Parts: sequence; structure tokens; C-alpha cells
Amino acid sequence: MAPATLALAAWGIVTGVAMVKGGLPVGVALVFSLVAYAGTAQLATLPLILVHAPWPLVMVTATFISLRFVIFSAGIRSAFVRLPLRQRLASAYFQGDLPFVLFSKRFGTVEHDGNETHWGFYYGAALTCFVVWHVSAVAGILLGSLAPTSWGLDFAAALAITAVLIPMVTNVPAVVGLIVTSVLAVLTIRVPFRLGLLASIVCGLGAALAIETVLDRRTSPVVHTVETS
Amino acid sequence: MTGVQDVPYLVVTIGCVAAVSFLSRASFAFLPESVKLPPGVQRSLRHAPVCALAAIVAPAVFTEHGASALSVHNYRIWAVLAAGAVFAKTRNMLAMMVVGMAVFTALRLA
Repeated sequence: MAPATLALAAWGIVTGVAMVKGGLPVGVALVFSLVAYAGTAQLATLPLILVHAPWPLVMVTATFISLRFVIFSAGIRSAFVRLPLRQRLASAYFQGDLPFVLFSKRFGTVEHDGNETHWGFYYGAALTCFVVWHVSAVAGILLGSLAPTSWGLDFAAALAITAVLIPMVTNVPAVVGLIVTSVLAVLTIRVPFRLGLLASIVCGLGAALAIETVLDRRTSPVVHTVETS
Repeated sequence: MTGVQDVPYLVVTIGCVAAVSFLSRASFAFLPESVKLPPGVQRSLRHAPVCALAAIVAPAVFTEHGASALSVHNYRIWAVLAAGAVFAKTRNMLAMMVVGMAVFTALRLA
């Protein structure tokens, strides 16, 4: 847990610095970070917000990035399913990449109802991450506002997103999705309102799924198991 | 006008990111126990963040002033390659950021 929270703190600081150096005023960056609690989605929507891209595009982009949380939500559901709705929603609010990974590593997939051990571990991890994240992000925002713009720290945002991206690219379909999306996003950079971005994501995702289907068919006798990490 | 000067726009966009962020995390908290996530759908969902992040990071690295910038003089390409190599090898994000920013700054100022 300790190395993981250190990494989270580093990521929070980088996100904070990148938001301010990307061009958000300190006040807006603080509100954005504290309200959204979204990390990657904050960094990814930042360039769109700066160019005044249509808000539905901002929302769709954030949705694509947040789809991984749907998997997490399904993954931990059985541990919380018997609790009242309010408690289920509270557990969801504190969900994040790190709590999910830690919880899955500790308990695997919880097949039956959760108990105090599950809830205690979950909230221990999730609340720690919550506090570490907000403290480090606020620190990053304040530090970022002190650093001169000439240092080029806005580039840190691209590096930070790359760091999130690399561990996700673990198989051939993901590589295809990455390449198709990247090439199209660069080629369509002049399309008004950054709408080329949306087209790139849809085409990249389509290409990834097509390749996945083809590869699956070729290895059809093998039953695929879904890793949970 | 940039988005930063438009306060209603900021309220809507920040509200959207916050709402999407919460709703995605709470998605299965709303659904009855009988609704399961089929493995096929689950695997498809895993590719969506890759594509969304690539669509953001590729233009930030490979374009300049609204045009593609695929040249050896684009320092950001070298910086991302160096940073990516460091991260792939060490899985250390801080080391990656330091190397990436160092390469970027050194080339820029050279």
C-alpha cells in the first residue's frame, strides 16, 4: 500500500501542476479537482476545455475514459450488494483505480455477500487514496502556479497521460486501437470543435474490437478467461 | 474566447466530468444483482480508455499549431519516446516524468 500511495501522490502533484500550467486559473483548477475527483479524465478534458470545445464532446471524452470504472463497479458489486442504496453509492463515490486494484489483489472476485473485513479493507484503501489524492493535487496546483510558464510544464500533462496509457496497452487489439486512434486524431486536428477527436476514438475502438473478434475466431476452441486487474 | 473565460461553460463542463466520473463508478450500484457484465462487453470496455487517452495525447505530441509535426525537430516526440522507454522499464512514474521533462527541456534549450 505504501509504494502505491507514493505513486498516487506523485500522480496527484503532476496532475495539479499540469492543470495550472495547461492554462487553468488556480481557482478553477482547485474547484475542478475537488469536485470531479477524476484524475485522468480531468487531464484529458483539459485541452478540450481550453479551446472551448462543445460541452457534449467534453462529456463523451470523459465517458470513454471513465468506462473502466464500470468494470470496477461490476467487479466489487457483490461485496456491497446487500447494503442499502446510500451505502452502495458512498462506496462508489470513493472508487478509484488504486482501491480497485488493491481490493482485487486482496480478495480476488468476491462471489458472495461482503462482510466487515471487505468493507473495512475497501474503505481503508479508498479513503487513504481520497485524502492522498486531494492533498497532492492541491499541492500540485499551488506549486504549479509558482513555476514559470517558460519551463514548459504544460508538457507534463502529455507525459502523465502516457504513463496511464502504457500499462493499458497489453494486447494486440489495444495496440491496434492505440495506433488507429492516434493517427486519426493527428490527421483530423484541423476539424472544427475537435470533433475529429470523437471520430478517432470511435474508429480506433471499432478497429480494436474488429481485431479482437478476428483473433478470437482464429483461436475459437480456446475459452478465454478474463483477467481482473 | 477560451473556455477558461466562460464561467457558465466551465460550470457545465466541470459538472459533466464530475457527473460522468461518479455515474460510471456507481453504474452497477444501481443495477439489480441479476444483471451481470458479459465478458465480451467487459473486454470491449477495456479498450475505450486506451482510445480516448490516445486521442488526447497523440495531438499533444505529434501536432503543433494545428498541423501535424512529424519531424526530428519536434522535441516532444523524443521526450515521449525517452519517457515511455523509462516507464516501460522501471514502471516508475516519477522517474519517467523527470526523464521526459529533462529530455524535452534539454533539446528545447540546446
